[in-house]
Amino acid sequence: MAEKYFKQPILRNEDPRLLTGKAKFIDDITLPGMLHAAFLRSDFASAKINSVDVSAARKHPGVVAVYTAADFGDYWKPGPLQVPPPSVIKGSLFNARTLIPIAKDRVRFSGEPLAVVIAESRYIAEDACEDIVVDMEPLPVVTDLEKAIEDGSPLVHDDVPNNLAADVYQERGNYAEAAKYADVVIKRKILIDRCAGAAMENRGLIVDYDDRTHNMTVWATSQAPIPLRNSIAGRLGMFENQVRVITPFIGGGFGPKIMTSQADDVLLPIIAMWLNRPIKWIEDRRENFLATTSERDQIHFAEIALKKDGTILGVKDVFLHDTGAYDPYGMTVPLNTSTHTVSNYEVPAFVTQIKMVFTNKMVVTPVRGAGRPEGVFVMERLLDAAARELKMNPVEIRRKNLLPSNKYPYKSGIIGQDFVEGVLDSGDFAGNLKKALDLVGYDEFVKTEQPKLRAAGKKVGIGVVNFTEGTAVGPYEGAKVTVGGNGKVNTATGISSQGQGHFTIFAQIVAEQLGVDVKDVNVITGDTGHFHWGAGTFASRGATVAGTAVYNAAIKVREKVLKLGAKVLEVPESELELADGLVKVKNKPDKSIPIGQLAVMANPMRGTIEPGVEPGLEAVGYYGPPYGATGNGSMAMIVEVDPVTYAVKIHKCVIVHDCGTVINPLLLEGQVMGGLSMGVGNSFYEQLLYDENGQVMNASFMDYLIPQATDMPEEVILGHNSSPSPLNPLGMKGVGEAGAIPTPSCFVQAVENAFEAENIEIMETPLNPSKLFHYVKDH
Amino acid sequence: MKIEGEHVFKGPREEVWEMFYDPEILASALPGTQSLKMVNKNEYEGTINLRIGPVSGSFNGNLKITNEKPPESCTLNVDGKGTPGFLKGFGNVHLTDLGDGTTLMKYDGDVAVGGMLASVGQRMMDSVSKIMIKTGFGILDKALEKKHGNK
Repeated sequence: MAEKYFKQPILRNEDPRLLTGKAKFIDDITLPGMLHAAFLRSDFASAKINSVDVSAARKHPGVVAVYTAADFGDYWKPGPLQVPPPSVIKGSLFNARTLIPIAKDRVRFSGEPLAVVIAESRYIAEDACEDIVVDMEPLPVVTDLEKAIEDGSPLVHDDVPNNLAADVYQERGNYAEAAKYADVVIKRKILIDRCAGAAMENRGLIVDYDDRTHNMTVWATSQAPIPLRNSIAGRLGMFENQVRVITPFIGGGFGPKIMTSQADDVLLPIIAMWLNRPIKWIEDRRENFLATTSERDQIHFAEIALKKDGTILGVKDVFLHDTGAYDPYGMTVPLNTSTHTVSNYEVPAFVTQIKMVFTNKMVVTPVRGAGRPEGVFVMERLLDAAARELKMNPVEIRRKNLLPSNKYPYKSGIIGQDFVEGVLDSGDFAGNLKKALDLVGYDEFVKTEQPKLRAAGKKVGIGVVNFTEGTAVGPYEGAKVTVGGNGKVNTATGISSQGQGHFTIFAQIVAEQLGVDVKDVNVITGDTGHFHWGAGTFASRGATVAGTAVYNAAIKVREKVLKLGAKVLEVPESELELADGLVKVKNKPDKSIPIGQLAVMANPMRGTIEPGVEPGLEAVGYYGPPYGATGNGSMAMIVEVDPVTYAVKIHKCVIVHDCGTVINPLLLEGQVMGGLSMGVGNSFYEQLLYDENGQVMNASFMDYLIPQATDMPEEVILGHNSSPSPLNPLGMKGVGEAGAIPTPSCFVQAVENAFEAENIEIMETPLNPSKLFHYVKDH
Repeated sequence: MKIEGEHVFKGPREEVWEMFYDPEILASALPGTQSLKMVNKNEYEGTINLRIGPVSGSFNGNLKITNEKPPESCTLNVDGKGTPGFLKGFGNVHLTDLGDGTTLMKYDGDVAVGGMLASVGQRMMDSVSKIMIKTGFGILDKALEKKHGNK
């Protein structure tokens, strides 16, 4: 039977609220007696703190309290490691240096907090920050990854030699052998620079402690409300259920909001207890640029060994990964790079070595893509270099080496961010590539259009790349589905939402099982008062992992509905159907009962319930995958470079994506488009620039370029393939990061192709007009 | 931020040199200076108000003159901090007597900035510093003219 709600292009349940200004965001929340916090942050990227004198600030009218590290006593300690060390990988070295909530004797990046001011208003708090006198002694700064690991470089942490945060080596097959028998070995140095998460809404936190009930309510813009609750409770010695974390509507996450050990997370809860008044802190844009987290600095020393006919024998990639001043999020990002470098190609021998490096820069944690775009970039660049060397067509060399469809599940031999061996569960890589070539009109463009345009002096180029997206990793998520007496259905899950459309897709899954309208399913995400088991929104896992938990809960409720319905309507369960909010007897239109009425009956006030029956039409479901589901796809792009300004216009962009079963095609399109926008930014616009003193030089949207609508491709064509994941009953896979992953690789290839006559080779991202000009002119 | 340039003063080298040791002239040549006093022969302390693009505020700091080779060359070292951040830099100044009563000043230096000034003011820094230098030379030219005229 065709689905009525699941898989359908249903408009989003949350949009009327969001579009009419009726959605509640964190800064909309005001509590009686609420105070406001502001942080004084270090201007220096590396310095010894001699003293922080807050005496004048404390006297500032309207200031309630000012705290430095010394005021926190034993409460002050470095935060927890949010992700465990990679000890499952044999021989790995990992030096944990977790976030320090407020600097005590030393600062390690520009933006690190030195003091926190609590005042009657944010204006007063900010003004009082200016009254604080800080005596600091600047220390040498290290920002360059290659210099950082040299002997004698300034040390970010005095006890970590050569600033080496981690060294993790993994190999499958035998690369040295492969290289020995190869006809050609191509080596390249490949650079990837830093970008911001740059969500529309910055971070924020409100803490309200009730000293009569001893309960704390925290509103947060968190991607991980349950871990945040657990860590706050843990630090304060409270039960987890004494702390309720609520995530209101959030204007974008993109990774950095996964952190639960930032200064505000750690300090404001205890200050709210001390002062016994609610406290609000809303991050400003400069703080976000300086002192949340960001991603992507890597330098790769990569090589590929091939036969003359283009068959890959092996790939070796040793890379430096910048983790910034601390490494609270472990090795998630570089491990993702390791698992996404060769994933969609058949590479018998593969070495990936991560050298993670401390620098005097902002901490690195995942940003949409999270290490995957880097891995894909390295592989795709190597393939283009190889195609040139072997005088092969770039499409041909790719097609030749794609992993065939009969190889699933394909064990990669490389352990990933989830600490299990990477397994490709499903896919049709050749099918993706073919569809992308057809949709972009590759043959026609290369044979007819491009020569014509080139003859007319146009610099036009085409690129085609392949990618995978490891998604939907464990550990698990859960959900609770409850039919209300009003005939509507509540669905609560532990993950939080930052705009993905969870209020619609989870409703579709439930509606399909319980026969109620999608609009009658109320979805609650990220409120530990409603559901308090789970890990969070990351790694493109919400729809698949939490969605499957929702499904598992919904089918349990369906069973309860059918069982009770059969009893009440006095027919066998097989004669019942759920539709229109009713339990109906098939083919007997007059015989039915509203599902809400059944819910009331399932909770009797007198008599007794039968043994083994749980009251209410309610159930909890969980889902934990053994390993992640493999999203994958291909991208093709046609660009034109202005020969005078070196601005690049993307005329056409094709993304063929395979995320298994599609819950809602409209939302899928939105996810892919949003990811593409980020990918375009990472290709040609967004670059977080640090000077040699560790100062961020473009900490505002005046200077940090976010791609605008006019920078997006003139034409975007989405093509979908569907190879359902065998890992979950609905066959879903994640898609949240897909658009961002292949874009820089495809863009650079297309730009290189536009300058085919000049024979330029580009081994870095992001580009910009000035860099591109020099590639061509200095050639 | 690298600074480099040259300027021809319409006056003899000794008089140009002396201007570096006149707090009043120096203060007038640095737009936004609130106070500037000589604490040692080669050291000034003062407060300056700066506005660079969206960033403004006052800096406290000092200016030291080192590597003196009167009246030929010296190094100016600045070190200041304030609410908009900090700046620290040096400038090598070289004066050449052009033999016609005028003096060629060549300068090069490097200024490091931090804090708000660096993170938000960066895009304006280069152009603002060029304008400040140009304005400063204009004021020094006038001061020199006046001084010269008085003699």
